[in-house]
Amino acid sequence: MASTTASKSKTALGAVVAIALGIAVVAGVGVELHAHSYLNAPTETATINGTITAPDGKSYPHAFITDGLYADPIDSKAHGACATCDGGHPTWPSYGPFTHFVLPAHAYVTVTMHVYDGGEKLNSPYFANVVGTVGGTMNVDGKDVASLAPDGVQHTFTIHGLPTETQDPLFVNIPMPKTGDGGQDQAGSPLPKGHVVTFSFITGGKGNYVWNCEYPCGDTTYQGFGAVMGSQGYMSGKVTVL
Amino acid sequence: MAHHDDQDLLPTPGQRVGTFLKRKDVSQTFVLGIFFTAVFVVLGLWVYPHWMPNVMSKEMQGNEDIMIWFTVISAPIAGVVLAIAMESFINMHRGDTPPPEDGPGIKTHGPVVVIWSAVSVLFTIVAIVWGITEMNTWSSDALAGSNNALVVDVTGSQWNWSFNYPAQGITSHELNLPINQPVEFRVISADVNHSFWPVQLGVKVDANRLSTTIARTTPDKLGVFDVKCAELCGLNHAYMETAGHVESVADFNNWVSQAKATGGTQQ
Repeated sequence: MASTTASKSKTALGAVVAIALGIAVVAGVGVELHAHSYLNAPTETATINGTITAPDGKSYPHAFITDGLYADPIDSKAHGACATCDGGHPTWPSYGPFTHFVLPAHAYVTVTMHVYDGGEKLNSPYFANVVGTVGGTMNVDGKDVASLAPDGVQHTFTIHGLPTETQDPLFVNIPMPKTGDGGQDQAGSPLPKGHVVTFSFITGGKGNYVWNCEYPCGDTTYQGFGAVMGSQGYMSGKVTVL
Repeated sequence: MAHHDDQDLLPTPGQRVGTFLKRKDVSQTFVLGIFFTAVFVVLGLWVYPHWMPNVMSKEMQGNEDIMIWFTVISAPIAGVVLAIAMESFINMHRGDTPPPEDGPGIKTHGPVVVIWSAVSVLFTIVAIVWGITEMNTWSSDALAGSNNALVVDVTGSQWNWSFNYPAQGITSHELNLPINQPVEFRVISADVNHSFWPVQLGVKVDANRLSTTIARTTPDKLGVFDVKCAELCGLNHAYMETAGHVESVADFNNWVSQAKATGGTQQ
Protein backbone atom coordinates (compact mmCIF):
# COMPACT_ATOMS: atom_id res chain seq x y z
CA MET A 1 0.00 0.00 0.00
CA ALA A 2 2.81 2.36 0.92
CA SER A 3 4.66 1.53 -2.28
CA THR A 4 1.51 2.21 -4.32
CA THR A 5 1.12 5.63 -2.70
CA ALA A 6 4.78 6.39 -3.33
CA SER A 7 4.38 5.30 -6.93
CA LYS A 8 1.35 7.57 -7.36
CA SER A 9 3.26 10.48 -5.89
CA LYS A 10 6.17 9.88 -8.23
CA THR A 11 3.87 9.72 -11.21
CA ALA A 12 2.09 12.92 -10.23
CA LEU A 13 5.39 14.68 -9.60
CA GLY A 14 6.70 13.49 -12.93
CA ALA A 15 3.62 14.75 -14.71
CA VAL A 16 3.87 18.16 -13.06
CA VAL A 17 7.58 18.45 -13.86
CA ALA A 18 6.97 17.37 -17.47
CA ILE A 19 4.24 19.98 -17.90
CA ALA A 20 6.36 22.68 -16.28
CA LEU A 21 9.34 21.77 -18.48
CA GLY A 22 7.15 21.85 -21.57
CA ILE A 23 5.83 25.29 -20.70
CA ALA A 24 9.34 26.53 -19.90
CA VAL A 25 10.78 25.26 -23.19
CA VAL A 26 7.98 26.76 -25.30
CA ALA A 27 8.13 30.07 -23.42
CA GLY A 28 11.91 30.14 -23.64
CA VAL A 29 11.92 29.55 -27.39
CA GLY A 30 9.28 32.26 -27.83
CA VAL A 31 11.16 34.79 -25.73
CA GLU A 32 14.44 34.06 -27.48
CA LEU A 33 12.91 34.32 -30.94
CA HIS A 34 11.27 37.59 -29.99
CA ALA A 35 14.42 39.03 -28.44
CA HIS A 36 16.56 38.08 -31.41
CA SER A 37 14.12 38.82 -34.17
CA TYR A 38 16.44 41.53 -35.50
CA LEU A 39 19.65 40.07 -34.13
CA ASN A 40 22.86 41.52 -35.53
CA ALA A 41 21.08 44.29 -37.34
CA PRO A 42 23.58 47.08 -38.01
CA THR A 43 22.64 49.77 -35.53
CA GLU A 44 22.91 53.51 -35.71
CA THR A 45 22.49 55.54 -32.56
CA ALA A 46 21.30 59.07 -33.18
CA THR A 47 23.79 61.87 -32.64
CA ILE A 48 22.47 64.72 -30.51
CA ASN A 49 23.65 68.18 -31.47
CA GLY A 50 22.10 71.01 -29.47
CA THR A 51 18.43 71.80 -29.16
CA ILE A 52 15.78 73.02 -31.54
CA THR A 53 12.42 74.71 -31.07
CA ALA A 54 9.64 72.84 -32.86
CA PRO A 55 6.48 74.42 -34.32
CA ASP A 56 4.67 73.48 -31.13
CA GLY A 57 6.87 76.04 -29.34
CA LYS A 58 8.70 73.47 -27.26
CA SER A 59 12.44 72.95 -27.22
CA TYR A 60 13.76 69.48 -27.95
CA PRO A 61 17.19 67.85 -28.14
CA HIS A 62 18.07 67.73 -31.84
CA ALA A 63 19.09 64.22 -32.91
CA PHE A 64 20.44 63.21 -36.30
CA ILE A 65 20.40 59.97 -38.29
CA THR A 66 21.88 59.31 -41.72
CA ASP A 67 21.22 56.26 -43.88
CA GLY A 68 20.89 55.21 -47.50
CA LEU A 69 18.75 53.23 -49.88
CA TYR A 70 20.30 51.26 -52.70
CA ALA A 71 19.15 49.25 -55.68
CA ASP A 72 21.40 46.30 -54.89
CA PRO A 73 24.54 45.37 -52.95
CA ILE A 74 26.82 46.33 -55.83
CA ASP A 75 25.31 49.77 -55.86
CA SER A 76 25.58 50.16 -52.11
CA LYS A 77 29.19 48.93 -52.08
CA ALA A 78 30.02 51.41 -54.79
CA HIS A 79 28.67 54.10 -52.50
CA GLY A 80 30.71 52.71 -49.65
CA ALA A 81 27.64 51.92 -47.61
CA CYS A 82 27.12 48.18 -47.78
CA ALA A 83 26.40 46.71 -44.39
CA THR A 84 23.00 45.12 -44.40
CA CYS A 85 23.21 43.88 -47.95
CA ASP A 86 24.08 40.25 -48.42
CA GLY A 87 26.39 39.11 -51.18
CA GLY A 88 24.21 36.02 -51.50
CA HIS A 89 21.40 38.17 -52.83
CA PRO A 90 23.02 40.34 -55.50
CA THR A 91 19.72 41.64 -56.84
CA TRP A 92 18.08 42.65 -53.58
CA PRO A 93 17.59 46.34 -52.85
CA SER A 94 18.30 47.46 -49.33
CA TYR A 95 18.34 50.28 -46.88
CA GLY A 96 21.81 50.64 -45.43
CA PRO A 97 24.26 50.66 -43.90
CA PHE A 98 21.87 50.66 -40.94
CA THR A 99 18.49 49.04 -40.33
CA HIS A 100 18.21 49.44 -36.56
CA PHE A 101 17.93 52.99 -35.27
CA VAL A 102 18.27 54.01 -31.65
CA LEU A 103 16.66 57.35 -30.94
CA PRO A 104 16.37 59.48 -27.81
CA ALA A 105 12.93 59.90 -26.23
CA HIS A 106 11.18 63.27 -26.50
CA ALA A 107 13.58 64.47 -29.17
CA TYR A 108 13.41 66.20 -32.52
CA VAL A 109 14.91 63.66 -34.90
CA THR A 110 16.19 64.69 -38.31
CA VAL A 111 16.86 61.89 -40.77
CA THR A 112 18.89 62.20 -43.94
CA MET A 113 18.47 59.50 -46.55
CA HIS A 114 20.60 59.11 -49.68
CA VAL A 115 18.42 57.22 -52.11
CA TYR A 116 19.42 55.42 -55.31
CA ASP A 117 16.76 53.22 -56.88
CA GLY A 118 14.04 53.25 -59.47
CA GLY A 119 10.34 53.26 -58.71
CA GLU A 120 6.97 51.99 -59.75
CA LYS A 121 3.35 52.21 -58.70
CA LEU A 122 2.44 51.72 -55.04
CA ASN A 123 -0.17 49.14 -54.11
CA SER A 124 -1.78 51.58 -51.69
CA PRO A 125 -1.64 55.25 -52.74
CA TYR A 126 -1.92 56.32 -49.08
CA PHE A 127 1.78 55.67 -48.67
CA ALA A 128 2.65 58.24 -51.31
CA ASN A 129 1.84 60.81 -48.60
CA VAL A 130 4.28 62.15 -46.05
CA VAL A 131 2.76 61.39 -42.66
CA GLY A 132 3.90 62.03 -39.12
CA THR A 133 6.71 64.51 -39.82
CA VAL A 134 7.17 68.01 -38.49
CA GLY A 135 5.07 70.20 -40.76
CA GLY A 136 3.75 67.16 -42.63
CA THR A 137 6.49 67.48 -45.25
CA MET A 138 9.86 66.08 -46.27
CA ASN A 139 12.64 67.79 -48.14
CA VAL A 140 13.76 66.33 -51.47
CA ASP A 141 16.91 67.88 -52.90
CA GLY A 142 16.14 71.16 -51.15
CA LYS A 143 12.41 71.27 -51.91
CA ASP A 144 9.66 70.62 -49.36
CA VAL A 145 6.96 68.22 -50.51
CA ALA A 146 3.97 66.63 -48.78
CA SER A 147 3.47 63.74 -51.17
CA LEU A 148 4.74 62.07 -54.32
CA ALA A 149 2.88 60.69 -57.30
CA PRO A 150 1.83 57.15 -56.31
CA ASP A 151 3.26 55.77 -59.54
CA GLY A 152 6.67 57.31 -58.97
CA VAL A 153 7.60 56.09 -55.52
CA GLN A 154 10.81 54.20 -55.09
CA HIS A 155 10.28 52.68 -51.66
CA THR A 156 8.83 53.94 -48.41
CA PHE A 157 10.31 54.27 -44.96
CA THR A 158 7.34 53.61 -42.69
CA ILE A 159 7.72 53.50 -38.91
CA HIS A 160 4.93 52.00 -36.87
CA GLY A 161 4.33 50.03 -33.71
CA LEU A 162 1.77 48.28 -31.61
CA PRO A 163 -0.81 50.60 -30.02
CA THR A 164 -0.02 49.47 -26.50
CA GLU A 165 -0.80 51.33 -23.31
CA THR A 166 2.86 51.28 -22.31
CA GLN A 167 4.38 53.27 -25.15
CA ASP A 168 3.51 56.35 -27.11
CA PRO A 169 2.30 55.92 -30.67
CA LEU A 170 4.79 56.65 -33.44
CA PHE A 171 3.80 56.57 -37.08
CA VAL A 172 5.96 58.10 -39.79
CA ASN A 173 5.62 57.46 -43.50
CA ILE A 174 8.16 58.75 -46.01
CA PRO A 175 7.76 57.92 -49.71
CA MET A 176 11.18 57.83 -51.34
CA PRO A 177 11.45 59.48 -54.77
CA LYS A 178 12.73 57.33 -57.60
CA THR A 179 16.04 58.13 -59.20
CA GLY A 180 16.14 59.99 -62.46
CA ASP A 181 17.09 58.10 -65.59
CA GLY A 182 20.48 58.77 -67.05
CA GLY A 183 21.77 60.98 -64.28
CA GLN A 184 25.00 60.20 -62.52
CA ASP A 185 26.53 60.86 -59.13
CA GLN A 186 29.52 62.63 -60.55
CA ALA A 187 30.92 63.23 -63.98
CA GLY A 188 32.28 59.93 -65.24
CA SER A 189 30.70 57.88 -62.46
CA PRO A 190 28.63 54.85 -63.50
CA LEU A 191 26.36 55.31 -60.51
CA PRO A 192 22.85 56.67 -60.96
CA LYS A 193 22.04 60.15 -59.76
CA GLY A 194 20.32 59.87 -56.44
CA HIS A 195 18.26 62.10 -54.19
CA VAL A 196 18.89 63.48 -50.75
CA VAL A 197 15.76 63.24 -48.62
CA THR A 198 15.54 64.81 -45.18
CA PHE A 199 12.65 64.77 -42.75
CA SER A 200 12.08 65.35 -39.05
CA PHE A 201 9.74 63.92 -36.48
CA ILE A 202 9.34 64.11 -32.72
CA THR A 203 9.64 61.02 -30.59
CA GLY A 204 7.48 60.35 -27.56
CA GLY A 205 8.46 58.21 -24.61
CA LYS A 206 10.46 55.02 -24.61
CA GLY A 207 9.25 52.31 -26.91
CA ASN A 208 10.02 49.67 -29.51
CA TYR A 209 8.83 50.10 -33.07
CA VAL A 210 9.43 48.58 -36.48
CA TRP A 211 9.84 50.13 -39.87
CA ASN A 212 9.32 48.61 -43.26
CA CYS A 213 8.94 49.48 -46.90
CA GLU A 214 5.37 49.68 -48.16
CA TYR A 215 6.35 49.26 -51.79
CA PRO A 216 6.24 45.54 -52.76
CA CYS A 217 9.81 45.35 -53.96
CA GLY A 218 10.35 41.64 -53.35
CA ASP A 219 10.08 38.95 -55.97
CA THR A 220 6.77 38.06 -57.61
CA THR A 221 5.81 35.70 -54.80
CA TYR A 222 2.87 36.86 -52.71
CA GLN A 223 2.14 40.04 -54.66
CA GLY A 224 5.74 41.18 -54.54
CA PHE A 225 6.24 40.43 -50.87
CA GLY A 226 8.58 37.48 -51.23
CA ALA A 227 12.38 37.57 -51.04
CA VAL A 228 13.57 40.95 -49.77
CA MET A 229 10.16 41.87 -48.34
CA GLY A 230 9.92 38.56 -46.53
CA SER A 231 13.32 38.79 -44.87
CA GLN A 232 14.44 40.79 -41.90
CA GLY A 233 16.81 43.63 -42.66
CA TYR A 234 16.98 45.01 -46.19
CA MET A 235 13.51 46.57 -46.33
CA SER A 236 12.58 46.32 -42.68
CA GLY A 237 14.13 46.97 -39.31
CA LYS A 238 13.67 48.22 -35.81
CA VAL A 239 13.41 51.61 -34.14
CA THR A 240 14.23 51.77 -30.47
CA VAL A 241 13.38 54.91 -28.51
CA LEU A 242 15.34 55.16 -25.28
CA MET B 1 -39.16 -27.30 -12.42
CA ALA B 2 -38.72 -24.08 -14.34
CA HIS B 3 -36.01 -23.91 -16.95
CA HIS B 4 -33.68 -20.92 -17.16
CA ASP B 5 -31.22 -20.34 -19.95
CA ASP B 6 -28.10 -18.13 -19.77
CA GLN B 7 -29.96 -15.06 -20.98
CA ASP B 8 -32.17 -15.08 -17.90
CA LEU B 9 -29.11 -14.79 -15.66
CA LEU B 10 -27.74 -11.61 -17.31
CA PRO B 11 -28.51 -8.36 -15.50
CA THR B 12 -31.06 -6.06 -17.00
CA PRO B 13 -29.88 -2.74 -18.56
CA GLY B 14 -31.14 -0.91 -15.47
CA GLN B 15 -29.18 -3.24 -13.19
CA ARG B 16 -26.07 -2.74 -15.31
CA VAL B 17 -26.34 1.06 -15.07
CA GLY B 18 -26.98 0.77 -11.31
CA THR B 19 -23.91 -1.40 -10.84
CA PHE B 20 -21.88 0.92 -13.07
CA LEU B 21 -22.84 4.00 -11.05
CA LYS B 22 -21.88 2.32 -7.78
CA ARG B 23 -18.31 1.78 -8.88
CA LYS B 24 -15.84 3.94 -6.98
CA ASP B 25 -14.11 5.31 -10.07
CA VAL B 26 -17.45 6.22 -11.65
CA SER B 27 -18.72 8.01 -8.57
CA GLN B 28 -15.41 9.87 -8.33
CA THR B 29 -15.70 10.87 -11.98
CA PHE B 30 -19.26 12.01 -11.33
CA VAL B 31 -18.18 14.24 -8.44
CA LEU B 32 -15.22 15.59 -10.39
CA GLY B 33 -17.49 16.28 -13.36
CA ILE B 34 -19.85 18.34 -11.21
CA PHE B 35 -16.91 20.20 -9.71
CA PHE B 36 -15.29 21.06 -13.06
CA THR B 37 -18.65 22.00 -14.55
CA ALA B 38 -19.22 24.42 -11.69
CA VAL B 39 -15.74 25.85 -12.20
CA PHE B 40 -16.38 26.43 -15.91
CA VAL B 41 -19.76 28.00 -15.20
CA VAL B 42 -18.18 30.40 -12.71
CA LEU B 43 -15.41 31.17 -15.20
CA GLY B 44 -17.92 31.78 -17.95
CA LEU B 45 -20.29 33.96 -16.00
CA TRP B 46 -18.03 35.98 -13.74
CA VAL B 47 -14.40 35.71 -14.85
CA TYR B 48 -14.67 35.54 -18.63
CA PRO B 49 -16.29 38.99 -18.99
CA HIS B 50 -13.23 40.54 -17.32
CA TRP B 51 -10.94 38.91 -19.87
CA MET B 52 -12.92 40.12 -22.86
CA PRO B 53 -12.17 43.45 -24.56
CA ASN B 54 -14.19 46.52 -23.66
CA VAL B 55 -17.60 46.72 -25.22
CA MET B 56 -17.91 49.75 -27.51
CA SER B 57 -20.85 48.72 -29.69
CA LYS B 58 -24.00 46.64 -29.61
CA GLU B 59 -22.32 44.13 -31.92
CA MET B 60 -19.50 43.63 -29.43
CA GLN B 61 -22.02 43.17 -26.63
CA GLY B 62 -23.69 40.48 -28.71
CA ASN B 63 -20.33 38.78 -29.27
CA GLU B 64 -19.60 38.78 -25.55
CA ASP B 65 -23.03 37.41 -24.68
CA ILE B 66 -22.58 34.56 -27.14
CA MET B 67 -19.12 33.75 -25.83
CA ILE B 68 -20.30 33.77 -22.22
CA TRP B 69 -23.42 31.68 -22.70
CA PHE B 70 -21.80 29.21 -25.05
CA THR B 71 -19.10 28.74 -22.42
CA VAL B 72 -21.78 28.01 -19.83
CA ILE B 73 -23.66 25.67 -22.15
CA SER B 74 -20.53 23.71 -22.98
CA ALA B 75 -19.37 23.61 -19.35
CA PRO B 76 -20.94 20.16 -18.58
CA ILE B 77 -19.27 18.59 -21.62
CA ALA B 78 -15.88 20.09 -20.83
CA GLY B 79 -16.36 19.21 -17.15
CA VAL B 80 -17.13 15.54 -17.83
CA VAL B 81 -14.26 15.17 -20.32
CA LEU B 82 -11.81 16.74 -17.88
CA ALA B 83 -13.17 14.59 -15.03
CA ILE B 84 -12.67 11.39 -17.03
CA ALA B 85 -9.15 12.45 -17.93
CA MET B 86 -8.36 13.33 -14.33
CA GLU B 87 -9.86 10.10 -12.98
CA SER B 88 -7.92 8.06 -15.54
CA PHE B 89 -4.74 9.79 -14.50
CA ILE B 90 -5.39 9.27 -10.78
CA ASN B 91 -6.28 5.59 -11.09
CA MET B 92 -3.97 4.58 -13.88
CA HIS B 93 -2.24 1.23 -13.35
CA ARG B 94 1.18 1.50 -11.75
CA GLY B 95 3.85 -0.91 -10.66
CA ASP B 96 5.42 -3.99 -12.16
CA THR B 97 2.46 -6.31 -11.83
CA PRO B 98 0.31 -6.76 -14.92
CA PRO B 99 -2.97 -4.83 -14.92
CA PRO B 100 -6.13 -6.76 -14.00
CA GLU B 101 -8.39 -8.09 -16.68
CA ASP B 102 -10.71 -5.43 -18.05
CA GLY B 103 -14.33 -5.76 -16.99
CA PRO B 104 -17.09 -6.70 -19.43
CA GLY B 105 -17.85 -4.08 -22.01
CA ILE B 106 -20.94 -1.96 -21.53
CA LYS B 107 -23.16 -2.62 -24.48
CA THR B 108 -25.48 -0.14 -26.08
CA HIS B 109 -27.89 1.30 -23.58
CA GLY B 110 -30.87 2.78 -25.38
CA PRO B 111 -31.87 5.54 -22.96
CA VAL B 112 -28.30 6.80 -22.65
CA VAL B 113 -27.91 6.98 -26.42
CA VAL B 114 -31.23 8.80 -26.78
CA ILE B 115 -30.46 11.28 -24.02
CA TRP B 116 -26.92 11.92 -25.29
CA SER B 117 -28.10 12.43 -28.87
CA ALA B 118 -31.00 14.64 -27.83
CA VAL B 119 -28.83 16.87 -25.67
CA SER B 120 -26.21 17.19 -28.43
CA VAL B 121 -28.88 18.08 -30.98
CA LEU B 122 -30.40 20.58 -28.57
CA PHE B 123 -27.04 22.29 -28.00
CA THR B 124 -26.41 22.45 -31.74
CA ILE B 125 -29.86 23.87 -32.50
CA VAL B 126 -29.46 26.49 -29.78
CA ALA B 127 -26.09 27.51 -31.24
CA ILE B 128 -27.43 27.71 -34.80
CA VAL B 129 -30.64 29.56 -33.95
CA TRP B 130 -28.90 31.94 -31.57
CA GLY B 131 -26.15 32.74 -34.08
CA ILE B 132 -28.49 33.26 -37.03
CA THR B 133 -30.87 35.39 -34.96
CA GLU B 134 -28.00 37.55 -33.74
CA MET B 135 -26.59 37.98 -37.23
CA ASN B 136 -30.00 38.79 -38.65
CA THR B 137 -30.59 41.38 -35.94
CA TRP B 138 -27.27 43.05 -36.68
CA SER B 139 -27.95 43.04 -40.42
CA SER B 140 -31.42 44.54 -39.97
CA ASP B 141 -30.16 47.23 -37.60
CA ALA B 142 -27.22 48.02 -39.85
CA LEU B 143 -29.33 48.27 -42.98
CA ALA B 144 -31.83 50.48 -41.18
CA GLY B 145 -29.02 52.90 -40.36
CA SER B 146 -27.14 52.58 -43.63
CA ASN B 147 -28.76 55.61 -45.24
CA ASN B 148 -27.01 57.99 -42.85
CA ALA B 149 -23.95 55.81 -42.30
CA LEU B 150 -20.47 57.24 -42.26
CA VAL B 151 -18.60 55.44 -45.05
CA VAL B 152 -14.99 54.50 -44.40
CA ASP B 153 -12.90 52.80 -47.08
CA VAL B 154 -10.52 50.50 -45.24
CA THR B 155 -7.40 49.35 -47.07
CA GLY B 156 -5.10 46.70 -45.67
CA SER B 157 -1.58 46.52 -47.07
CA GLN B 158 1.49 44.80 -45.74
CA TRP B 159 1.78 45.92 -42.98
CA ASN B 160 -0.41 48.92 -42.24
CA TRP B 161 -4.01 50.04 -42.37
CA SER B 162 -5.19 53.20 -44.07
CA PHE B 163 -8.64 54.75 -43.88
CA ASN B 164 -10.26 56.93 -46.51
CA TYR B 165 -13.36 58.98 -45.67
CA PRO B 166 -14.75 59.71 -49.16
CA ALA B 167 -17.51 62.10 -48.05
CA GLN B 168 -15.06 64.07 -45.92
CA GLY B 169 -12.21 63.87 -48.45
CA ILE B 170 -9.54 62.76 -45.99
CA THR B 171 -7.27 59.78 -45.42
CA SER B 172 -5.76 58.64 -42.17
CA HIS B 173 -3.61 56.01 -40.54
CA GLU B 174 -5.84 56.03 -37.46
CA LEU B 175 -9.53 55.22 -37.45
CA ASN B 176 -11.61 57.99 -35.89
CA LEU B 177 -15.36 57.56 -35.56
CA PRO B 178 -18.15 59.71 -34.11
CA ILE B 179 -20.22 58.18 -31.34
CA ASN B 180 -23.71 56.81 -32.07
CA GLN B 181 -23.23 57.25 -35.80
CA PRO B 182 -23.75 54.13 -37.96
CA VAL B 183 -20.56 53.29 -39.82
CA GLU B 184 -20.14 51.34 -43.02
CA PHE B 185 -16.68 49.85 -43.55
CA ARG B 186 -15.79 49.01 -47.14
CA VAL B 187 -12.84 46.73 -46.69
CA ILE B 188 -10.28 45.79 -49.34
CA SER B 189 -6.67 44.65 -49.52
CA ALA B 190 -3.96 46.21 -51.64
CA ASP B 191 -1.93 43.02 -51.73
CA VAL B 192 -2.43 39.71 -49.89
CA ASN B 193 -5.39 38.73 -47.74
CA HIS B 194 -5.75 40.53 -44.43
CA SER B 195 -8.52 40.60 -41.85
CA PHE B 196 -9.86 43.91 -40.57
CA TRP B 197 -10.50 43.61 -36.86
CA PRO B 198 -11.51 46.66 -34.80
CA VAL B 199 -11.59 44.56 -31.67
CA GLN B 200 -13.79 46.49 -29.26
CA LEU B 201 -16.36 47.23 -31.98
CA GLY B 202 -17.09 43.52 -32.46
CA VAL B 203 -16.33 43.51 -36.19
CA LYS B 204 -13.96 41.16 -38.00
CA VAL B 205 -14.07 40.73 -41.77
CA ASP B 206 -11.65 39.56 -44.43
CA ALA B 207 -9.81 42.13 -46.49
CA ASN B 208 -9.43 40.58 -49.92
CA ARG B 209 -7.60 41.87 -52.95
CA LEU B 210 -9.87 43.13 -55.74
CA SER B 211 -13.02 42.42 -53.74
CA THR B 212 -14.73 44.80 -51.34
CA THR B 213 -16.29 43.42 -48.17
CA ILE B 214 -18.85 45.53 -46.33
CA ALA B 215 -19.29 45.49 -42.56
CA ARG B 216 -21.38 47.80 -40.40
CA THR B 217 -21.45 48.83 -36.78
CA THR B 218 -22.48 51.70 -34.55
CA PRO B 219 -19.96 52.67 -31.85
CA ASP B 220 -21.79 53.65 -28.69
CA LYS B 221 -19.03 54.30 -26.17
CA LEU B 222 -16.29 56.93 -26.17
CA GLY B 223 -12.73 55.67 -26.00
CA VAL B 224 -9.81 54.03 -27.74
CA PHE B 225 -10.03 50.72 -29.57
CA ASP B 226 -7.49 48.49 -31.28
CA VAL B 227 -7.45 47.82 -34.99
CA LYS B 228 -5.62 44.61 -35.79
CA CYS B 229 -4.98 42.28 -38.67
CA ALA B 230 -6.40 38.85 -37.87
CA GLU B 231 -4.94 37.02 -40.85
CA LEU B 232 -1.28 36.00 -40.90
CA CYS B 233 0.03 38.19 -43.72
CA GLY B 234 3.79 38.16 -43.70
CA LEU B 235 6.90 39.49 -41.99
CA ASN B 236 5.43 42.32 -39.90
CA HIS B 237 1.92 40.94 -39.47
CA ALA B 238 2.29 41.22 -35.69
CA TYR B 239 2.83 44.96 -36.09
CA MET B 240 -0.11 45.53 -38.41
CA GLU B 241 -2.02 47.38 -35.74
CA THR B 242 -3.20 50.89 -35.23
CA ALA B 243 -5.37 52.81 -32.80
CA GLY B 244 -8.99 53.79 -33.27
CA HIS B 245 -10.93 56.47 -31.43
CA VAL B 246 -14.64 56.85 -30.79
CA GLU B 247 -15.14 60.57 -30.27
CA SER B 248 -17.91 63.04 -29.71
CA VAL B 249 -19.40 64.43 -32.90
CA ALA B 250 -17.77 67.79 -32.19
CA ASP B 251 -14.33 66.22 -31.72
CA PHE B 252 -14.73 64.16 -34.87
CA ASN B 253 -15.72 67.20 -36.91
CA ASN B 254 -12.75 69.07 -35.47
CA TRP B 255 -10.44 66.21 -36.46
CA VAL B 256 -11.87 66.26 -39.98
CA SER B 257 -11.31 70.00 -40.21
CA GLN B 258 -7.72 69.64 -39.06
CA ALA B 259 -7.09 66.89 -41.58
CA LYS B 260 -8.51 69.01 -44.39
CA ALA B 261 -6.37 71.92 -43.30
CA THR B 262 -3.26 69.77 -43.71
CA GLY B 263 -4.12 68.61 -47.19
CA GLY B 264 -6.49 65.78 -46.39
CA THR B 265 -3.94 63.43 -44.90
CA GLN B 266 -4.14 62.92 -41.20
CA GLN B 267 -2.14 60.73 -38.91
